[in-house]
Amino acid sequence: MPFKTPNALLHGTLDALILKTLAGGPRHGYAIAKFIEDASDESVIVEEGSLYPALYRMERRGWLEAEWGESELGRRAKLYRLTRDGRSQLTAETAAWRQFAAGVSKILLAQ
Amino acid sequence: MKRSLRSWLWRVPLDQEVDDELAFHIDMRTRELVEKGVDPRIAREMVLARIGDASRLKRTCVDLGRKREREMRLTRWLEECREDVRFAVRQLRQSPGFTLVATTTLALGIGANSAMFALADATLMRPLPFPEPDGLVVLSEFWQGQPGGAVNPVDFVDWSERTHSFTAIAAVVRGGGSLVGDDGVAEPIPAQAVTSRFFDVLGVTPIAGRTFREGDEGPTPDVVVLSEGFWRRRFGADPSIVGRSTRFGGQTFTVIGIVPAGFQLELLGTTSEGSSLMWTLLNSPTDRSPAQRYPHYLQVIGRLKPGVTIDAARSDLASVADALAREMPGTNKGHAATVSPLRDRVIRGELRLTAMLLLGVVGLVLLMCCANVANLLLARATARSREFAIRSALGAGRRRIVRQVLTESLVLAMLGGLLGAVFGAGILKAAPSLIPTGLIPSTVTVGFDSRVLIFCALAALVVAILYGLSPAWQVTRLSAVQAMTNDGRSVTAAGAGFRRALAVSQVAIAVFLLCGAGLLLRTLLALESVDSGSRAGDLLTMIVAGGGPGPDSDPESMWRRYEAFRREVEQVPGVSAVAWGSALPFGGLWFGQNFEIVGDPPRLPADRDMSGYQIVSPSYLPLLGVALLEGRGLSAADTAGSPEVCVVDEEFVRRFLRGRTVLGTRIAINAMVLPPRAIAREIVGVVAQVKERPDEPQPQPHVYVPIAQNPWWTATLIVQPADGRAEALTPGVRAALARVDRDRPATVIRTLTALGSEATARPRFRAVLIATFAGLALLLAMVGVFGVLAYSVQQRTREFGVRIALGASGRNVLGLVVGNAARVVGTGAALGLALALAFAQSVAAFLFGVQPRDPVTFASAGAVLVLTAIVACAVPALRAVRIDPVEAFRNE
Repeated sequence: MPFKTPNALLHGTLDALILKTLAGGPRHGYAIAKFIEDASDESVIVEEGSLYPALYRMERRGWLEAEWGESELGRRAKLYRLTRDGRSQLTAETAAWRQFAAGVSKILLAQ
Repeated sequence: MKRSLRSWLWRVPLDQEVDDELAFHIDMRTRELVEKGVDPRIAREMVLARIGDASRLKRTCVDLGRKREREMRLTRWLEECREDVRFAVRQLRQSPGFTLVATTTLALGIGANSAMFALADATLMRPLPFPEPDGLVVLSEFWQGQPGGAVNPVDFVDWSERTHSFTAIAAVVRGGGSLVGDDGVAEPIPAQAVTSRFFDVLGVTPIAGRTFREGDEGPTPDVVVLSEGFWRRRFGADPSIVGRSTRFGGQTFTVIGIVPAGFQLELLGTTSEGSSLMWTLLNSPTDRSPAQRYPHYLQVIGRLKPGVTIDAARSDLASVADALAREMPGTNKGHAATVSPLRDRVIRGELRLTAMLLLGVVGLVLLMCCANVANLLLARATARSREFAIRSALGAGRRRIVRQVLTESLVLAMLGGLLGAVFGAGILKAAPSLIPTGLIPSTVTVGFDSRVLIFCALAALVVAILYGLSPAWQVTRLSAVQAMTNDGRSVTAAGAGFRRALAVSQVAIAVFLLCGAGLLLRTLLALESVDSGSRAGDLLTMIVAGGGPGPDSDPESMWRRYEAFRREVEQVPGVSAVAWGSALPFGGLWFGQNFEIVGDPPRLPADRDMSGYQIVSPSYLPLLGVALLEGRGLSAADTAGSPEVCVVDEEFVRRFLRGRTVLGTRIAINAMVLPPRAIAREIVGVVAQVKERPDEPQPQPHVYVPIAQNPWWTATLIVQPADGRAEALTPGVRAALARVDRDRPATVIRTLTALGSEATARPRFRAVLIATFAGLALLLAMVGVFGVLAYSVQQRTREFGVRIALGASGRNVLGLVVGNAARVVGTGAALGLALALAFAQSVAAFLFGVQPRDPVTFASAGAVLVLTAIVACAVPALRAVRIDPVEAFRNE
């Protein structure tokens, strides 16, 4: 069983992960989850209960926009794409994460 | 934005969308597990288990989606509004002429309305500026069947002791004082004398010190309360004045408090120049002998106890007055009393009617402004029909275009409203010098405030909807094809009909207002031609106080003082004659006294007849040019020691002495003395009638008594100039008075001519104002008529061309145009006259010497309209006659 990231930690970073994922191009919800799980070697599991509310919230904030289109298997799927606002949000969140991670590492990995 | 807009528009309902999305997700997950070798059914169960409460998830998503949709709709709407406004501003800037005319028209209408609203707001809508004003009432006797009659001081004390409906009652009477300025000349101070609970009844809180209380009363009360304005102006807002002794008018007073500047109570006859700067304490009488019950000069206010209705208070007071009449029939019989709301007594019927009249008139003018702007907009909408058609062909919905047109109207209205507010503020700033003194009581203030501003905004909005709907409606009737092919006639037929209707109603309103203005102008003319009965030229008049409640006010002292004043004023260069009197021709005042004819069976005082009582010097009647009809006038030989005499006028003879020998008859008439007492006087002469008011319904009887035999606290000094204007004598006369007694400055300084024109100031104010608005309405109506005609001639150019080509003469074409005009003007005029006939009675209260349905006025109003209509028609008619058939066809 892979290590399951605690929800609390995921909450803050899920938005950033979604944004990062969509930076690579439009994807539907399942594909986003799958991408995050695969890319993190399944060390991050994205729960549906968090993913979809996050997508709707981010769409409301104007970071994402959605459109119904075709999935790679030819089925109709709701595709999310990054907006310009979303892109700058990603930059901001990445920077914040870098700072945060550096700070945490400094403490946790101190000898 | 565009893309998300489109995806938003093309989306399926949110509910289903979330379902689809989640279903897709579940399918994909299941497929993933199946590919890993899990049994399909088990795989699906695993996925569902992983998701947990699917319906909650769905709810969360739908919820978020809904919020987003709402926000998007708002953003989109705001965006469209911004676009509309930007577009409207651009459109308006492209036609500056139209914008200028439309906004000016609106600004005029809204400005005039805002000023009249301020007047109506202060007088009709707002409560009086006192705490809990609903409990404030006036207690009064009936005078000629109306409430408002003055109250006797002893009755006042009885009322306050015997009634039980009031927390307190208080009396007020006009007072006066003076203060010697730095230049050594005394300045008169308008003041009120009030009883101790006056400020408590009204709920006035002093800004410094205190107001009166019951312990302040004494043999000669020496405390005063000052108004804030006076305190600032004359004492530099010095707080240490409170508690200090100051000399006012030859008497020393202690200033005990300052009341806020906004506080004034103006009740009938309680102020000398509209407002009071100082309040002195009025003692309640301790002597309750019958003699003290004669003079009636107080106005009484009271505050109802909580929970007591005005009707209950009314019957309470009525029964007290009844009881007094039974106990003391000699003095109180027939003196019924009543309670009325303070508001009704402060804001009198005349003011209320005037405010309503003016508000109604400016409201009509605003409607006409609306009609004109609507006309302009309609013409524009017609001219722009092609533009709208193109926009609609490009995918703009009908609602979108209507919104655009309405936005343009709104932007126009906002401009007009803004300018109108500025204009209204200007009117209100100038108003105090335009509104006749005394029309608006000093208790209320008329000014530009936030309420007026809100009114302007609302007026602009309503106006925008009124005039904006018609072009918007017209736009909705356009079909793209019609507009693109520019088949003008069919497109605009409906619009033209509407514009004709607008013109007809404008004409109707103009005629209606012209009739009203005509009635008021005729009233003014009638009033100004009324003969006062005086044949005097211009005289200078002023009120001088020869005595008062203080010391040195016995008849001998007062007489000596009046004589000293007279001798000194006679020495002033430029003065040819001097007289003393009391009421003046057209002065608006009338003092009455009870009398009975000596030798007739005695009557109770309450049953005696009443006559005007004039205290005059021998020179008074000749100086005012009042003709002597019989006997002799008063002479210098009629002194305090000689037999008491009097002169009466024609009305006195007609009413009371019919069939008797007038000369030699003796009448016992109450003299102005304290305590009041009747003095028998022999009638030595009869003089012509004098009027106190131009609109007197019937002549009033007068008795003229020599001042030497009855000098009183105040007298009116009348000065005749040797040449030139009377007003120029003012400084000299004032200085002469100050040389005799600098503590007794003259008040109410007027020339006789000014008094006469003050007497007609209110009718003149109404007539001039309404005539101005009627003129404006006429102008607006003519612009409307002109617009309709010019437009129809333009539209029918080809038709006229055909007619002319087929041999129609210029006269035929002229006939067509004039016929068209006559129908519009005729219908409008008939409607307007019908309206005027229907509403004539509502101005009856303002009329004098003219019937509400005066045919001359109505006919003149019609004639004025027709004459101006001819001017308005001339240009379009000539244009029609001069149509060149060739040109007419080439244009098509």
